Amino acid sequence: MILGCVALVSAVSFVCVPQGTQAARPGTIRGRVELRRPTSPMERRPGVADLGSPAPRDVPNLLRSVVYLESAPRGAFETEEGGHAIMDQRNETFVPHVLAITTGTTVDFPNSDRFYHNVFSLSKTRRFDLGRYAAGGSRAVRFDRPGIARVFCDIHSHMNAFILVFSHPFFGVTDDDGRYHIDDVPPGTYNVIAWHEGTSSDPKAASVPDGGIAELDFTIR
Amino acid sequence: MKVWSVAACLGCLAFVCRVDAQTLPSEPISIGGGRVVVSGDVSGTIGTADPGFFNFTDYDHSALRLMRVDVSATVNAGDHFAVLGEVRAENLDELSPYALFLRVKPWTAHDITIQLGRVPPTFGAFARRTYPADNPLIGYPLAYQYLTSLRPDSLPATADDLLRRRGLGWLDRFTIGNQTFEHGVPLVSAFHWDTGVQMHAATENNIVNGTVAVTAGTLSNPLFHDDNNGLQYAARMEFRPVAGLILGASGARGPFVSAGAAAAAVGEGHDREFTQTAWGADVEYSRHYMLLRFETIVSEWRLPVVSEPAIAVPLRAVSTSVEGRYKLAPGLYVAARLDHLGFNDLHGTTTTAPWDAPVTRAEAGIGFSIQRNLLLKVSHQYNTRDGGPLKRVEPQTAAQLVFWF
Repeated sequence: MILGCVALVSAVSFVCVPQGTQAARPGTIRGRVELRRPTSPMERRPGVADLGSPAPRDVPNLLRSVVYLESAPRGAFETEEGGHAIMDQRNETFVPHVLAITTGTTVDFPNSDRFYHNVFSLSKTRRFDLGRYAAGGSRAVRFDRPGIARVFCDIHSHMNAFILVFSHPFFGVTDDDGRYHIDDVPPGTYNVIAWHEGTSSDPKAASVPDGGIAELDFTIR
Repeated sequence: MKVWSVAACLGCLAFVCRVDAQTLPSEPISIGGGRVVVSGDVSGTIGTADPGFFNFTDYDHSALRLMRVDVSATVNAGDHFAVLGEVRAENLDELSPYALFLRVKPWTAHDITIQLGRVPPTFGAFARRTYPADNPLIGYPLAYQYLTSLRPDSLPATADDLLRRRGLGWLDRFTIGNQTFEHGVPLVSAFHWDTGVQMHAATENNIVNGTVAVTAGTLSNPLFHDDNNGLQYAARMEFRPVAGLILGASGARGPFVSAGAAAAAVGEGHDREFTQTAWGADVEYSRHYMLLRFETIVSEWRLPVVSEPAIAVPLRAVSTSVEGRYKLAPGLYVAARLDHLGFNDLHGTTTTAPWDAPVTRAEAGIGFSIQRNLLLKVSHQYNTRDGGPLKRVEPQTAAQLVFWF
């Protein structure tokens, strides 16, 4: 339900912004996302059948959230062809743990570990399985539908990541302090949503002045 | 006992479900910042009837008509110690402690691990991936599941006694030792783990790793309390020259016959002489969407020689299994396994024949992931047995639903 809402709203909603002003300058929405209850990383399954101790692994960065416009300006969907993004597999962790892209973007999945990984997703947004490949190898997937793809490794069940696919460019990923900014937003009033690890905030209205900045903070959980 | 077991199982499931916001969990339950981690596997299997007892296990159930619940947990106490355990219920009739051991990692800088308690099997490859989510098919390799006519506590007096029981390992008894009907033993039990101490070491990049263990039982008959005066010694080496290729070799030797049966056969003090010795080799190769596995096991048992016609020892069994899996599409795969279990000839009064009836099994199936941790498998088996009074040819079809977190 929550996962699907990104796909729905970003695919069909748009907002009419004032077109009469000849010199309407885009603005910025910025603010901070506060995480009330930090999310714990997915643990390895207890390796009861293992003969040895599991090797140390990196812990994914779970501090990042994504903030996006629920309703995008008219014309926002006429975006140019998406580019490339990278989701690395490093020390049994997807890096970054959260990737936000626009439709048409191709994501490369290099393997930086010396052992096999097998990236796959059974999400409706993009269903794929890249098979097993070793260090130095890479496979790519193009994302053409908006929505959220939950990505896993078929060999290491604790490896997981999110790819949020938007049909407009008005989104931002927070830094480790929770700060975000969405630039080049045409002046107008928008509903804005913050998303973190599968949980979305209630929409909040933001009025972007001509060439100005709208401040908007969120609290999740 | 049954009511208590069912309640305990349901309690475990209810507990883990409640922790995860009243929905079925999709990932291990972590408590205390990862100090305690709980996971589970639940599988339900329905299959056609098995009048030939090809899929009967040493847990006294058919592997193709089975409801299995596993709950595993690890309690981490710093960088050096962890306690791991697993309880299992089959068909909800008894809750068994499948594993419970202390894992010690003496040096964090070196990949050396010592495990004490009811530990995972050192020998072979399949025994550590018997979980339904790890097994691409529904059936098990014959070496790990098929019950031979041998028992550690009940012994044939002559070769004729043993030859009369060919193909009857599912329910068996002989004239020496325990006279109650019980099941025989497989080459390697995948359904019970042994008790003892185990040490594992690996090179820094895990290209080579090795494990040695000293335990109470044997491969065929893992035990919590030893039934004779000898220990089993087992070892395994793995070589991983490139990603995707694993070459393994294993060996194990330990007294097989129980002290009581040995004493009934040849008198006190000889129980260490009647051993099970096994050698195994396995290869796993995977690349892209393909996974191939090969495993062969040779097992020899030495039984007491009591009367003529004598049982020529050792009694030998050889199993060979080839398994493959190929992913056709995201969440969809096909798999197949070809398996043979053979036995060396034994000379009786009037006949010479393999001491147990050779068995061949071909199994093919598909697996479909309804969601990441919910897998539906359907497979078809074709079993043949060359001898014995029971049905010798048996096609079987089964479906299995696997949920894990």
